[in-house]
Amino acid sequence: MRQLLSSIPLFARRCLVFIALFTPFAYILAQVVALQMGDYEILGPEPGKAIVWFTGEWAFNALLLTLAIGPARQWLNWKWPLAHRRMLGLFVMFYATLHLLSYMAFLLAWQWQDIGSELVERPYLTLGFLAWVLLIPLSITSTKGWQRRLKRKWKSMHKLIYLIAILCVVHYLLQIRSNWFEPSLYALITLVLLSQRFSLAFCYTHFVRCFHT
Amino acid sequence: MLIKSAADIKSSEITSHSAYLNRRKFMQQSGLAMAAMGLASTAGAIETHDGKAPKFGPDWLKQQVAGATETNFGKDEKLTPYRDVTSYNNFYEFGTGKDDPVRNAGSLITDPWSVTIEGQCEKQGTFNLEDILKSMPLEERIYRLRCVEAWSMVIPWIGFPLAELIKRFKPLSTAKYVEFTTLEAPKQMIGQRSRFSTIDWPYVEALRIDEAMNPLTLMAVGLYGEILPKQNGAPIRLVVPWKYGFKSIKSIVKIRFTEKPPINTWQAIAPREYGFYANVNPEVSHPRWSQAKERRLPSGLFSVNRIPTQMFNGYGDQVAHLYKGMDLRKSF
Repeated sequence: MRQLLSSIPLFARRCLVFIALFTPFAYILAQVVALQMGDYEILGPEPGKAIVWFTGEWAFNALLLTLAIGPARQWLNWKWPLAHRRMLGLFVMFYATLHLLSYMAFLLAWQWQDIGSELVERPYLTLGFLAWVLLIPLSITSTKGWQRRLKRKWKSMHKLIYLIAILCVVHYLLQIRSNWFEPSLYALITLVLLSQRFSLAFCYTHFVRCFHT
Repeated sequence: MLIKSAADIKSSEITSHSAYLNRRKFMQQSGLAMAAMGLASTAGAIETHDGKAPKFGPDWLKQQVAGATETNFGKDEKLTPYRDVTSYNNFYEFGTGKDDPVRNAGSLITDPWSVTIEGQCEKQGTFNLEDILKSMPLEERIYRLRCVEAWSMVIPWIGFPLAELIKRFKPLSTAKYVEFTTLEAPKQMIGQRSRFSTIDWPYVEALRIDEAMNPLTLMAVGLYGEILPKQNGAPIRLVVPWKYGFKSIKSIVKIRFTEKPPINTWQAIAPREYGFYANVNPEVSHPRWSQAKERRLPSGLFSVNRIPTQMFNGYGDQVAHLYKGMDLRKSF
């Protein structure tokens, strides 16, 4: 499997990764077009909410894939995905932006006063928005040019993605009403993927003790 | 892009009151034609989408519902289409997704059905649905339904005032509250088998006795001229239009008169977020979202139907006196 995948030429692999991550967007876009053409039942009576959830889930899925590349190399000795980390990261930004825009457009109808007060007053929205803001510098500096210019700083700067991942987990967990399955699953996968970066001792001193005090 | 800028939902697409009665006739006829052609099974799959009558349920109930008298309640309101009312539901007994109940509620057995009356009243016992509805005149009332999740619908219910039922059981002077319980039957209700739910089944709701006796409080057995679909709480449910939707408990099997305030299910799960009263109130936010506005369904993508929420969901004239002198921020 590993050999098969790494034997595909880089360009072809890039195309495949792009198609794979672009498909959810094409799917939801087709649904929106069908809805606008009059296929009323396609996304239910609250299509806006369906789109906000869909784009949010795919932003998170792309984020988990991005985070999985490090552990894949260390735990499975898969090196080929490294070449696709930038594209995956940019897909996180792509879906996160769609998620934010569809929330503002479809749920709050661009009523700026409401958008402002919601982002300030609702902790889960504040955290989600903060995660999106932090993605901006990472997206801008994702190019090779910026990588060269920032040198060592680039690497430490892009560790921000760990903080973003935690913000996303909390953003999701705070929305639980009675079903905790999916949010907990995302939280668990995120923690497993992050555990590769932080030793258990590090986790203990930095997170567990913080929560206890 | 192929996106039309016109309103997503044409007003002609919204089912009017008279249209649904006409359509009903048409659907019955076409249903017969389909059955004659041996296509009865496929017709069954289509019917939820087309808004045809539920296929289950006893004939006596269907006849009684069909004979309901019209009233002036909500005459000017634009109805939420049948397909939305019956396919976008919160009924966690059948799953937490909005489209879960319509898919999973088929396994609910609604006939025979009985309701147990308990607590501080003279006439306790277990009564068949037929006995409860015997000589109970049914009426149609169009009510706004405001969900605590900030969406709303307008639904033509068929039912009778809860007060009429309560009087029959002769509550004692010690009966200060009325508690309602939904069926608990994990074999029929897939959501009750879920291990990922924080709900302690069965679902319980309650009203103060004066709220229960208010003429607006309805016990519904039908909607849109038909018996209740299972996902909407068949065969009998509560409708309290000035409170958030979760107060309007579905598929009721028990009514208990109590002296002390019962703890309703959502209050037990998250007392900071859901209170006993749950009156619709645009000024008191849910801790996680604002209640000032609501999305009246169906809501289009580029023509979001977002309207201000009214105090007591617009039923203040009839119910505000119940809460005179109360701090509705504390008693939310």
